[in-house]
Amino acid sequence: MKTTVKSLKWMLLKISPILYFLGSFFLLCLIWQVIHLQTKGDIPGPISTFKIFEELFVLEDPMYDNPEDPGYKGILIQLISSLGRVFLGFGLGSLVAIPLGLLMGSSKVGLNLINPIVQILRPVSPLAWFPLGMIAMKSAGGATIFMIFITCLWPTLINTAFGVSSIPQDHKNVGKAFGFSLWKYVTKIMLPYTLPHIFTGLRLSIGVAWLVIVAGEMLSGGLGIGFFVWDSYNAGSLERVLTAIIIIGLVGLFLDKAFNYVQKKVTFS
Amino acid sequence: METKSYLVDSATEFHKLPASTSININNVTVSFDTPKGEFIAVKDINLTIQKGEIVSLIGHSGCGKSTLMNTISGMVSPSKGQVIANNKIVTGPGPDRGIVFQNYSLLPWLSVYKNIYEAVDSVLSDKTQSEKRTIVEEHLKMVNLFEHKDKLPGQLSGGMKQRVAIARAFAINPSILLLDEPFGALDALTKASLHIELLKLWNLDNRNKTIVMVTHDIEEAIFLSDKVVVMNNGPAATIREIVDVNIERPRNKKDIVHVPEYMKTHDKLLGLLMDKFSIEDTH
Repeated sequence: MKTTVKSLKWMLLKISPILYFLGSFFLLCLIWQVIHLQTKGDIPGPISTFKIFEELFVLEDPMYDNPEDPGYKGILIQLISSLGRVFLGFGLGSLVAIPLGLLMGSSKVGLNLINPIVQILRPVSPLAWFPLGMIAMKSAGGATIFMIFITCLWPTLINTAFGVSSIPQDHKNVGKAFGFSLWKYVTKIMLPYTLPHIFTGLRLSIGVAWLVIVAGEMLSGGLGIGFFVWDSYNAGSLERVLTAIIIIGLVGLFLDKAFNYVQKKVTFS
Repeated sequence: METKSYLVDSATEFHKLPASTSININNVTVSFDTPKGEFIAVKDINLTIQKGEIVSLIGHSGCGKSTLMNTISGMVSPSKGQVIANNKIVTGPGPDRGIVFQNYSLLPWLSVYKNIYEAVDSVLSDKTQSEKRTIVEEHLKMVNLFEHKDKLPGQLSGGMKQRVAIARAFAINPSILLLDEPFGALDALTKASLHIELLKLWNLDNRNKTIVMVTHDIEEAIFLSDKVVVMNNGPAATIREIVDVNIERPRNKKDIVHVPEYMKTHDKLLGLLMDKFSIEDTH
């Protein structure tokens, strides 16, 4: 008898994160329903929104993509195109930010020279780069990717540079005492120590990129989850806007968790 | 200037030094620029260490003994004077001088094996991979850590970590070994067994390696050394006295305390380092 109580308790402890998640979701729906009732239905409630969910994912083909019907695309097509842009911009941004951050962190001159530029440009809303992107890329899609690229530069750059500049003297002494070559120093001391910092930067970058893509696609139009939000608003379907908000939130959560997982994998302990 | 006449690798200038000289510290002063002005750590130090000698630098905390040792390793450059090691003026760290740091300085993301391997790979780069592996394995066995070779430093005790650091320093086969308070963070029993291991490694190499060690432990200094260099208190520390330890090797940890010479040396060092021996002593 005692053991069953114990194992029951243990099971409860095991599934408690799921229970909490469901509880918090229920709480959200409750508040939402209250707002729905208070606004006398101006803002759609959870039930009608979930019906749209079903409509978008089950009743309609979420992968609907007919060239003869450019006005409408399935929700997954929109989502995938947004994610594609985010990862392209993020990838290019990281490709520039990581090496630059490594250089910046390892030289005092480099740090002092580049830091002011970063400090001035970092607080600028990424949306402000959109017009420049339009001129540079000659297309709205290219401009969005350019904007994500700029967005992803700063967190990765700053965190990488900080990581490198905080390598303990002890570790550097090992390289000095045993005459490590530059390559050995970079691969055996600098990168292993800095990797967790780099991943913090990457995680912040992808988070901001996912925030920015929605606004960017509202500006650029055409395709993407941000465009879907704007398009649904213009079509007068607030249910679709709310559905999109939930999808954006869930994808953002997933991205963060995925990066967190990878970060834990690459961190020595 | 007199220092100019010494050229690195110039054999003609060093014939003045006997061939058995391993380290020659020549009129060395080290000062650092601090926000409060110039800080002189050690001043006008002259010290000659013979090949195969074990020498301890002893003194109170902050007396500049580590700084002095770092001029031999090349981690610190003297502001005046020069250090000659293996007939070359020291201009920076080099593979002829192995270093064991106080805090072990193992790379936490590399296994025990890898920590030693990377040092060997870097210094003995002309050897083949299998030769390098053999060297690493041999040295792991010497310090009885072979079965722990795949562990990370974080999984080892302090004593084991320091054995890895010692194995790493010996593996690159330097002619000079520099130890910076190597056993300072260890308990008395671990310390004693590591003293014996250190002497064992030194013996295996036919007592050819010169060992310079920084310590503040009198017993340790006597047990291991041929000479104990007692430093004055800093700043601008100088050498107070060099005490010879005339106790025959091999020394026995248990018996040595009964040797009259041991007690004599111990008293002498204690007298040099402390000026109060009981609560009645006033100054």
